Amino acid sequence: MQKTLSESKRCSPITVKSLPVRSNHGPAALQSPSNRAEQRSCPQWRRANMALMELASLEKSLGFKKANKYSTQGNNKTPILQSNKGAPLIGLVTIASHLVQEAAQPELLGRTAEQRAVVRQWLEYRVTQLDGCPKEDIRSILKELNQYLEDKVYLAGSDFTLADILLYYGVHHIMADLSVQEKEQHMNLSRWFDHIQHYPGIRQHLPLVVVLRNRLYTGGHH
Amino acid sequence: MTKEEVKGAVEEDSQAQSKKALKKQQKEAEKAAKKAEKQAKQAAEQQMTDEDDFAEDRYGVPPMLQSQARLDRVLVRVQDLTAEKAGQLLWVRARIHTSRAKGKQCFLVLRQQQFNVQALVAVGDRASKQMVKFAANITKESIVDVEGVVRKVEQKIESCTQQDVELHIERIFVVSQAEPRLPLQLEDAVRPEGEGDEEGRATVNQDTRLDNRVIDLRTTTSQAIFRLQSGVCQLFRDTLTSKGFVEIQTPKIISAASEGGANVFTVSYFKTSAYLAQSPQLYKQMCICADFDKVFCVGPVFRAEDSNTHRHLTEFVGLDIEMTFNYHYHEVVESIADTMVQIFKGLRDRFQTEIQTVNKQYPSEPFKFLEPTLRLEYWEAVAMLRQAGVEMGDEDDLSTPNEKLLGRLVKEKYDTDFYVLDKYPLAVRPFYTMPDPSNPKYSNSYDMFMRGEEILSGAQRVHDAELLTERALHHNIDLEKIKAYIDSFRFGAPPHAGGGIGLERVTMLYLGLHNVRQTSMFPRDPKRLTP
Repeated sequence: MQKTLSESKRCSPITVKSLPVRSNHGPAALQSPSNRAEQRSCPQWRRANMALMELASLEKSLGFKKANKYSTQGNNKTPILQSNKGAPLIGLVTIASHLVQEAAQPELLGRTAEQRAVVRQWLEYRVTQLDGCPKEDIRSILKELNQYLEDKVYLAGSDFTLADILLYYGVHHIMADLSVQEKEQHMNLSRWFDHIQHYPGIRQHLPLVVVLRNRLYTGGHH
Repeated sequence: MTKEEVKGAVEEDSQAQSKKALKKQQKEAEKAAKKAEKQAKQAAEQQMTDEDDFAEDRYGVPPMLQSQARLDRVLVRVQDLTAEKAGQLLWVRARIHTSRAKGKQCFLVLRQQQFNVQALVAVGDRASKQMVKFAANITKESIVDVEGVVRKVEQKIESCTQQDVELHIERIFVVSQAEPRLPLQLEDAVRPEGEGDEEGRATVNQDTRLDNRVIDLRTTTSQAIFRLQSGVCQLFRDTLTSKGFVEIQTPKIISAASEGGANVFTVSYFKTSAYLAQSPQLYKQMCICADFDKVFCVGPVFRAEDSNTHRHLTEFVGLDIEMTFNYHYHEVVESIADTMVQIFKGLRDRFQTEIQTVNKQYPSEPFKFLEPTLRLEYWEAVAMLRQAGVEMGDEDDLSTPNEKLLGRLVKEKYDTDFYVLDKYPLAVRPFYTMPDPSNPKYSNSYDMFMRGEEILSGAQRVHDAELLTERALHHNIDLEKIKAYIDSFRFGAPPHAGGGIGLERVTMLYLGLHNVRQTSMFPRDPKRLTP
């Protein structure tokens, strides 16, 4: 796994399946007319849109009453949070970690030093490996995650952390496109995904992805 | 580079060249020596064969069989060579499947259809050296007449079907000689997929098989497939005959396309053109209107669809059924479903050997069915698919992936590979389909599925000329072209329903094969017109 801390990964021009935006859900920034004009063609905008929606969902699931205002910067539309106490915070993972602290739920970043390292590792994986991953590499990502989750309930072992939330948001559009057979092929990933999407308060605006609980493809036929 | 260096390089070059020349000469000398040796050996062998061969009338290549004489000789079948025949001297006609010579012995595997037996020619008081050599040199796939003694063996011969005995050959004559080079090896053609990769052995691809179909059909797998397919036809006929059906023959050259003109072959017909029948639909229905009550027919069906998939052929064998019913078309559905069940049962009980043989090369789970057959309605199927996360409208047709997924869901829930899907949306069915009386969006039509793939499409037909005209207009069909068809129903037509089954598909899906070309003896598809 790469260990770069930069989040300004070049956005490869793939079209990420856009999610149905319901106006009463998105943060105020999304409703500005300039953004709406961009919406029609630019995948980067959609990426930013996703990141902002994701942060809005995260705020809700952490129990924030009032939504923060975000802006974006650069070609990658990296999210920015202008905080009241000093320098602006830049980048999905940075802002997400900050929100967790704000919500006084530091255990979501890991309980032990080891767990904190694992959580950081998966947050980084999310923004360096998963985001903007070309279509042909998605298979190997799914395989990797499926293997890793074979003996774990959560990414950091037996505790629910921010890594689970952000990776769930990150793989949602991929999981939604998988066929029943593909979901069964990646059984551990599907189990984890189904568990997280039913975790109280996490799913928010995202549509439920159906994960069957019975095996259909046991025999080696067709 | 200085001049010196250049010179040096050139010298080196010439030296290298002379070295090469030397090597070449040496090689040639070796070759010549080998040749001489070979010739000497051949001469010695020639001398040996010229020597007195006491067994020379016990083997050889007799003149071509032109029915010169009728021999009073019984040829025993390979499958009958069992331990009970031990000690008997008998004649067998078979192919040389494989042969390997080991010094004074030559082992042969004699094959007859899907059965084979180990045979042995050994130097002794019955066979000479020359005879063993002759036996070892007979080309693979040649047909031989063999006289030999059946002997029990100590250890079972695992590689043969006749495991308890071997044949000690006393006479061997070649009836028909095969050319030494075969376009494909039979062992390669029966190797299960994946097994060859491990050992680095060749497997034969589908096109090579079909190009040399005559040889490919000799494999145990092919033999089993087509014997079972013959069984399907036989069981179909037997079951329906016992239900009081009449077998009919219908013309295949027709004047108008029966199921819409999109996928129909046109043939020139004297001064005009005609079509090849896409189904015996019209004629089945005419027979119903002519008081035949229950009819079926088995014959070729043509589809000019340019689809190159694992399950489409341009010509296949249709098993068609049409019957009158009293009050409800389910009488027909049950009759057809029961016919299918009788076929499955018959195959299970009478063709277990063939099923096992095919399973060796193409493993699949045994075919499961329920009695009475499971009948689901279309809306239920849509609900099941939606529960599995598929988004589709109430009246959308089932796509192939969704059909397969539905098959999986049904298998998981009801543990059956065979079911009927009833009450299809009217919009996705042909014009002669009877609408559902309680909900005009649906129709009295049904498909039957095996292992999640459609094998039969059927429906209650419209037997009322008025409604039929209305439906045809709704489908934008030229009434002139189907005038004869509609007129059939003007003089009293009983309510009736039916369906058509594809023989190759049934065989393919029953055995769990992956390509319909495996169950068509000489397949026809958009790219293949030979052999």
